[in-house]
Amino acid sequence: MGPWVRRQFDTRTIVLMPIAIAINIVLGQTVAAALKIPVYLDSIGTILVGALAGPIPGMLTGLLANLIWTFVLPPPFYSQYAWPFAVVAAEIGLVAGFAGRFGLFRSRPNTPLPILVVGFLATAAIIVAIGWYGLIPFYAKGITFFGDTGGVTPFFVLVGYVVGLLIAAAIVALFILLFVRRDLGVAFVLLVGLGCGILSALISAPIAAYMFGGVTGSGTDLLVAAFQKAGSDLQTAVLQQGLLSDPIDKTFEFFTVFAILQVVSRRFTARFPQGERAVGVMPSGPATHGPGLHERPTERPTERPAEPPTTSEGR
Amino acid sequence: MPTAYHRLNPLTKMTVAAAGSVAALAVGGYVVPLAVAAAMLLGASVAHLAGRLLGLSLLVSLPIAVSVVLVSVFTRVGTTVLFSIGPFDATLQGADFAGQTLVRLLAIALSVGLFSTTTDPRALVADLERRGAPPRLAFVALATVEAVPTLAERARVIAEAQRARGLDTEGGLVARARGLLPIVGPAILSSLTDVEERSLALETRGFTRPGRRELLWSVPDSARQTFARRLLLATLVVLVAAHAARLV
Repeated sequence: MGPWVRRQFDTRTIVLMPIAIAINIVLGQTVAAALKIPVYLDSIGTILVGALAGPIPGMLTGLLANLIWTFVLPPPFYSQYAWPFAVVAAEIGLVAGFAGRFGLFRSRPNTPLPILVVGFLATAAIIVAIGWYGLIPFYAKGITFFGDTGGVTPFFVLVGYVVGLLIAAAIVALFILLFVRRDLGVAFVLLVGLGCGILSALISAPIAAYMFGGVTGSGTDLLVAAFQKAGSDLQTAVLQQGLLSDPIDKTFEFFTVFAILQVVSRRFTARFPQGERAVGVMPSGPATHGPGLHERPTERPTERPAEPPTTSEGR
Repeated sequence: MPTAYHRLNPLTKMTVAAAGSVAALAVGGYVVPLAVAAAMLLGASVAHLAGRLLGLSLLVSLPIAVSVVLVSVFTRVGTTVLFSIGPFDATLQGADFAGQTLVRLLAIALSVGLFSTTTDPRALVADLERRGAPPRLAFVALATVEAVPTLAERARVIAEAQRARGLDTEGGLVARARGLLPIVGPAILSSLTDVEERSLALETRGFTRPGRRELLWSVPDSARQTFARRLLLATLVVLVAAHAARLV
């Protein structure tokens, strides 16, 4: 192990990992069992470790989470079908780790309006581009949300509209947040979540299609059925479902982690290997002070000023 | 009561589970998954667990099985229509596909289930550590086993506390989704505060000390089991290769 890797595994990270995995498993199981909604919410812990510790611990947390879920946990909590998706979980941790490395979990409140507008337009442009080139082609033959729905059963048209409205509502809500809190950080989190979701969908679709006939026993199965009924073959239907629900799911999860990281104390986050880079040093309280007090240091904090007293571990 | 199957080395049982799952997955069809399922039930009967394992596996697979049937039987495009319910045609191809998926899922559930019902997590982790797995990963695996029930219990307590304050957790979909946040937030934040205490406790007890730990507990292994594991893996490779060459 090189020093770059070893630095990412201090005692705090090792202690955080099991708790993160427990968060994944308990939340994932609750959501899958109790709420039949087309999201999974089983990666919040993985994203948390990736953001605070780095890409390698994030990857390892994802990988271990799914393996432990299947092979180590005793019956009431174990899932026989988690292990094939370990690769996807690892990818999510890796993406979160790099997002943290580039400081994308920072709150950037009181961004001046012009920059905010530019950020908004850029985000919107990227979302439209992703949608145009990444999503629309897959749905060309399937359900079109606002197109010709003549041959399709009304029930599935209804499902299609509900999902479409959910997506629209989620995006609108995030943009409202972006402007009400005037926080450019939200835009970054949104983009990372979307990108991670698309990547996850591309990786998990073949696994789900080949192993499970395209179903996972959760709310997303309804979508697979809808796309298949609309004339897609199984692989395409699973990919369409993934490209629909994974970006929503991952955006929501990245956003949850972003919110958690803003709530916990800076002292807590700064003690993790890449906590300072990921979340920043300054607290991001409500905008009660003048804007001057909240201006971010503009230089990238590669040379860390006054490292807080961390562990007794020799580095 | 530990039986002969319980007493096998964890790695042997894990090899059985992995080989069974991979064979059922890679080869597919009906014959191999059913053979795997039968073999696992045989192993379970040695461990006096056949009934319990079958019940557990069916229970775990039930929601996913319902989905498989609904998604495949009714929506898969096929030429032979068996029967129709409203706008949905059940096709022979769909039923065949669903059947194959179901036996495959059953084989995997039984393979993994036999392993987890007969293996103590601590034995598995101790054995892997003895074979050279990093001790820190061993810590993560075992700490997770403790952390999951703890977190579930904590979430339950928080949910009850919030319900006492008037949170609606049993209403419709929207109400339940809205009820998620006041439970999830405190549960995650309070777990994170534990990290601080635990890492200090571990560091004062030599967790970061380099070098290997001396394990006081070792799980017995035998030359026969080593041979059996290699034989099993070789069989698996031959089976998958034969399938790839379209012999099976």
